[in-house]
Amino acid sequence: MNWKKFFFAFIAAFVFLFVFGFLWYGTLMQGAHHEVPTLLRPESDFKSYFPWLILGHIVMAFFFTILCVRFVPTGGAGPSAALGALVGLVYAGPHLISFAVQPLTVKILFGWIVGALIQFAIAGAIVGTIYKPAAANTMFIKERSH
Amino acid sequence: MKRFILAFVAAYIFLFLWGWLLNGVFLKDVYAETPNLWRTQSEMMSLFHWIIIGQALIVFSFVMIYASGFAGGGVIGGIRLGVLLEIAAIGMRMAIYAVQPFPGKLIFYGSVSGLIEMIIVGAIVGAIYKPKPAGTS
Repeated sequence: MNWKKFFFAFIAAFVFLFVFGFLWYGTLMQGAHHEVPTLLRPESDFKSYFPWLILGHIVMAFFFTILCVRFVPTGGAGPSAALGALVGLVYAGPHLISFAVQPLTVKILFGWIVGALIQFAIAGAIVGTIYKPAAANTMFIKERSH
Repeated sequence: MKRFILAFVAAYIFLFLWGWLLNGVFLKDVYAETPNLWRTQSEMMSLFHWIIIGQALIVFSFVMIYASGFAGGGVIGGIRLGVLLEIAAIGMRMAIYAVQPFPGKLIFYGSVSGLIEMIIVGAIVGAIYKPKPAGTS
């Protein structure tokens, strides 16, 4: 594994996941979330729980990057985005279950599912673009194909 | 296609039974500590089909990733995929814990059981789904 490229891909994935989360869930969906205030921590509590938000995104980005690098060894934005979209679908399942057991609105459910699909597809494309196989391996493949 | 369906059905049956045992039996008292976070029993029953669809979507997407060749092969490949997907999901759970007033122990139990669940789902899918050998039609 090329650790330098992996590290850059991980940082880029983390920054994207965090910024997208803030814009999509924290800003665009803010009104929808406030329709169900019992499901949100009070503003004063949220500050003390903020480190969990950061740590959660670090864990998510790190293991998602490993997933892309291990399972799309050829790299590339397209295949990694396809894997990311499928990962987004895996995470959309628990949102549907949450809708059945928590008092979420249809608007929140729809926003979470669409958000997960877009978020992980783009994160996959970012990782696939940054992390590419080593040049030596690529050369070997090219030579063998002649 | 036959193996895809078999892997899907087997993993789905496990996920459904595991979910019922864990959430409906073992963690029942933990859920009861935070009634304001949950729908009433009658509401949940009227929306039960969403649980079925949600679990089916999890398993379908998992088998799709595995069958698309992303995960390599065999039981180990399936377990590896399950572990990576679940640890990333634990990160998501931590982020949700920051904004929703879930008790910490629910996040902990959910994460540990989620990891066991996805390891077993991965093993089931890896054991049943085998790609066709190259050259066969």
